Amino acid sequence: MPVQYLANLSLYVPELVVVATMMGVLFLESTYRENEKNHHFVFFLTLFGLLVAAVSVVANFTVLPTEFFTHSLIHDSFGNLSKLLMIFGTMASVYLSYQSREIDQDLKSEFSAIALGVLVGGMLLSSAHNMLTLYLGVETLSVLSYALAAMRKNDEKSAEAGLKYVLYGGVTAGLMLFGISHIFGALGTIQFTEIKLALEKVDGAKLAILIPSFLLFFAGIGYKIACVPFHMWSPDVYEGSPTPVTAFFSLVPKVAGVAALVRVTFSFFTVNVLLNHTWIALLSTIAALTLTIGNVTAIGQRSVKRMLAFSSISHVGMIILGVLVTSDEGLRSVMFYLISYLFMTIVAFYIVALVSEQYGNDYFERFNGLASRYPLMAILLTMVMFSLSGVPPLSGFVAKFNIFAVVIEKRYYVLALFAALNSVVSLYYYLKIVRLMIFKEAESSEEIRGFGFVNQALISICSVPVVLLGIYWERVLMWAQGAKLFVP
Amino acid sequence: MHNLLNYILWFPVLGMLGIVFIPGKQENTIRYWALLNTLITFGLTLVLYCKFDSTVGDMQSLFTINKPWIPSFHIFYALGVDGISLPMILLTALLFFLCILSSWTVGKSVKSYFALLLMLESTVFGVFMSLDFFLFYVYWEVMLLPMFFLIGIWGGENREYAAVKFFLYTFFGSILMLLGIIALYMVSGQTEESFNILALSGGKWSKEVLNIFGFSLPFAKIFFLAMFVGFAIKVPVFPFHTWLPHAHVQAPTAVSVILAGVLLKMGTYGFLRIAFPIFPEASIYFSSAIAWLGLINVIYGALCAMAQTDVKKLVAYSSVSHMGFVMLGLAAMTVQGMNGAVLQMFNHGTSTAMMFLLIGILYERSHHRWIVKPDGTKGFGGLYTQLPRYSIVFIIAMFASMGLPGLSGFISEALIFLGIYQKFTTITALALFGLLIGAAYLLWMFKRMFFGPVLDEVKKYNDMNAREIFYMVPLCVCVVVFGIFPSPLLNMMKASVGKLVSMLAGIHV
Repeated sequence: MPVQYLANLSLYVPELVVVATMMGVLFLESTYRENEKNHHFVFFLTLFGLLVAAVSVVANFTVLPTEFFTHSLIHDSFGNLSKLLMIFGTMASVYLSYQSREIDQDLKSEFSAIALGVLVGGMLLSSAHNMLTLYLGVETLSVLSYALAAMRKNDEKSAEAGLKYVLYGGVTAGLMLFGISHIFGALGTIQFTEIKLALEKVDGAKLAILIPSFLLFFAGIGYKIACVPFHMWSPDVYEGSPTPVTAFFSLVPKVAGVAALVRVTFSFFTVNVLLNHTWIALLSTIAALTLTIGNVTAIGQRSVKRMLAFSSISHVGMIILGVLVTSDEGLRSVMFYLISYLFMTIVAFYIVALVSEQYGNDYFERFNGLASRYPLMAILLTMVMFSLSGVPPLSGFVAKFNIFAVVIEKRYYVLALFAALNSVVSLYYYLKIVRLMIFKEAESSEEIRGFGFVNQALISICSVPVVLLGIYWERVLMWAQGAKLFVP
Repeated sequence: MHNLLNYILWFPVLGMLGIVFIPGKQENTIRYWALLNTLITFGLTLVLYCKFDSTVGDMQSLFTINKPWIPSFHIFYALGVDGISLPMILLTALLFFLCILSSWTVGKSVKSYFALLLMLESTVFGVFMSLDFFLFYVYWEVMLLPMFFLIGIWGGENREYAAVKFFLYTFFGSILMLLGIIALYMVSGQTEESFNILALSGGKWSKEVLNIFGFSLPFAKIFFLAMFVGFAIKVPVFPFHTWLPHAHVQAPTAVSVILAGVLLKMGTYGFLRIAFPIFPEASIYFSSAIAWLGLINVIYGALCAMAQTDVKKLVAYSSVSHMGFVMLGLAAMTVQGMNGAVLQMFNHGTSTAMMFLLIGILYERSHHRWIVKPDGTKGFGGLYTQLPRYSIVFIIAMFASMGLPGLSGFISEALIFLGIYQKFTTITALALFGLLIGAAYLLWMFKRMFFGPVLDEVKKYNDMNAREIFYMVPLCVCVVVFGIFPSPLLNMMKASVGKLVSMLAGIHV
C-alpha cells in the first residue's frame, strides 16, 4: 500500500509544486524588511513555480485515467486541461497584480501566496473523486478567496466584499455538507464510483431523500460558479476587489467549479432516469435564469468591472447549457468555451485594470475617447467585447456556436432560443463600452501610465487567440475533444 | 481562372491591409490607393462577367471553390457564382468604386474610413459568393462591424443611436438564422453536405417535426420563419423596417449608397439563395403572407415617403417601397416575377445609389437636407435655375426610380406585375396604387426643391464639378441603357432564376 502511494505521487506533482511554491513565497516574503519596495523575487518565484506546475501537468497528459490516494482523487485528461487553464489564469492574475498600483506593494507577495493556495484548492476540486475531497476543494478555494476579496484592508468596499463572500460561502458550504451527509446516509458511501454503483439499484424511497439532498449539494457548486440564485455575492466582490483579484476570481474558481459540475453530472446523473431528468431540469432552469438575470442586470451598471461581473454570470449560463447535454460533444464545447473565455477575460481585465488604476475608478466614462489616444488598445478591447457578445469571426462566437450546436443536437430548442436572444441583450451593453471608446471625445489628454510598451505588447499577444480561435479553431477543438472525462 | 472569386473576395482586404501601412497624414495617397483597389476589383468582376456562361443555371463550375475549413463540423470554404449572384457582384464592385470617388471630401480620419469601406466591400462579396452556410453566416455578421463604425463615426448628429439600433436589429435577425443553420445541420445528419447550401436545397425537410414541450410543430415552417425574420430585417420587410430610416439618414453619403444599393439586396438574395430553395413548401405556404407584407411595404413606404420633409429620409422610405416590389416578385414565384425581382434588385441598386449620391452632393453645398425646414420655410427652391447639370442628372435618377418607361425601373416593375398578376390579382391592383403614390411624392419633392423662385441661399451653390459628374455618368448609363436594352442582365440571370422557379413549381404542398 505505501508503495502504491508513492507510485501515485507522480500524478500529484503539479499540486505539490504549487504548494512548494506557495511555501517558498511565504518564506521569501518573511525575509523582506518592513519597508522593502522590491518584490521581484517573489514574483519570479511564483511564475517559475507555476511554469513548472504547468509543465508537469502536460507531462502527465498521456497517463491513462487512474484513481489514486485510496480512490479519492482521479487523474484524467479532462482534469488536466482544467488544471492547465487554472494555472494560466493564475499566471495572468499574478502578473497583473505585480504591476498593479491598486494593490499595496507589501501586499503583493501576499497575493501571490494566497492565489497559489486558491489554485491548489481549484486543482483539488477539479480532480476530486470523493465527496469529501470535493468538499475540501470547495472549502480551500473559498476560505482563501475570502482573504483575497478583503485584501485592501483599509478600503471599505473591499472589506464589504470580503464579508459578503464569507457569509454566502458559509451558508452554501453548510448546505452542501448537509446534502452530502444525506447522500452518505442513503447510499452508505462517499466515493464517486461506489455512489454510481449504488445509484444503479436505488429505489423510490431512497430517491425521495436523494433528490433534495442533491439539490442541496448543488448549492456549493452553484456558489463557486456564481449561477443564479447563488450569484448575489459576485458583483459586489468583483467591484470591491482590486482588478487583478477580480480577474483571478472570474477565472480560477469558475473553471474549478465548472470542472466539478461536469464531473458530478457525468458521474451521477447518467444512471437513474428520474434522477437524470430532475438534474437536467434543474440545470436548464438555472441556465436560463442565469443567462437572463446576468445579462439584464448588466445593462444598467455604471462600473465596468461590475458589468463584467454580470456578464461573466451570463457566460456561466452558457457553460451550464454545454454541461447539461451530457455528451462528449457537450464536454468539448464546454472546454472550448473555457479556453476562449480565459483569453477574452484576461485581455478585458488587463485593459480595464490599467485604465481604472489611472483614474481611481472604473466608470464607463473613463473609457471615453480611448480610441483617439490609444488606438491599438481601443481596437483590442473592442474586439474582445465583440467576441464576448458572440460576433464572428472571433473566438467567443465559435464558443457560442459550439454550445448552440450541442444544445440543438439534443433538441432543446427553447433553451437555444433563450441563449440566442440573450446574446442580443449582451451585445447592447458590450456595445456601450465600444461606443464610448470610439465615438466619444476624450475627457482629457492625460496619459495613461499603464499603457507602456511592454503592457501593450503583452495585451496584443494575449488577444491573438481571440482572433485565431475565431478563424481557425479545428486544432483547439481537437485538443478540447482530447480532454476525456473519466466516467466510472 | 479557378481562383478568380478568391481574387475578387480578397483583393479589397489586401487594399485594407495596404492602407494600414500608409501613414495617416498622406490622405491623398490613401484615397488614390483605395480608388485603384476598387477599380481593379471592378475590373476583375468584369472579367468574371466575360467568362460567365449564361446558359448554365447551376453554379459555374469554372469558378467554384471548395476547400475544407473546419473538418470536424464539415465546414467548407466554398465559393461559387451563378446568374442570381453575378448581377449583385457586379453592382457591388461598381458601387464601391463610385463610393470611393464620392468620399473624396471626407476629411475625418481618412485612413480608417477607407480601410473600413474596403473591408465592407470584401464582406459583401463574401455574402454573395458563399456556398457554405456557415461561411455565409460569418460574412453576413462580419459585414455589421464596418457598417457599425462607418455610421457611428462618420454619421450625422444622431449617429450613435442609429448605429446601435442598426447593429442590434440585424444581430437579432441573424442570431435566429444561426439557430436555423445549426438545426438544419443536425437534422441533415451532420454529414459533409450539412452546411452546403446547394445540397440542402430542394425541400428535403418537409417531413421533419419539432417537439417543443410536447407540441409537434413542422420543422420546415418554424425554421423558414426564423430565416424569414433574419432576411426580412435586412430587406427590410414591413414590421422590421424601423432601423432603416435612422441608419440611412445618419449614415454618410457613401455608406447610405452602399446600404441602399447593396446591403438591402442581401436580404432578398437570402430569400433567393437560401430560404426558398431550402424550404420550398414552407415558402409556398407563406407566399401569400409574403405578398401581403410586400404590398404593405409598397404602400406604407410610399405614404411615409410622402410625409417626409427631409429629402434623404424621403429616399430612404422610397427604398422601403421599392424593396416591397422585390418582395412581391419573389412571392409570385413565377418566371416573370422572379426575373423582375432580381432585375429590380439591380435596378434599384443603381437608381437609389444615384439618388443618395445626388443628395450627398447637394448636402455638401447646403449642409442641410430639408425640403421644408422645421420652422416652416422652404429649404430649397429654384435649384433648376441655379444647378442645371445637377438637375438633369436628378431628373434621370428620379424618373428611373419612379419607373418611367424607357428607364430601368420600368422594366423590372413591369415584369414583377406581370408575374404577380397570375397569382394575386387583388394585390396587383392595390400595388399599382403604390406606383401612383411613388410618382406623387417624387414629383412633389421635385417641384418643391427645383422649381419656384431661387432662394438667396441657393444662389451660392456651384453646379456639379468634374469629379461628381464623372461618378454619376456610369450610373446614368446603367439606368438608361438597361431601361431600353435590359437583355444583357436578363440573359445573365435567366437560367438560374428559371431553375429556381421550376424547382418551386415541382413542389406539391
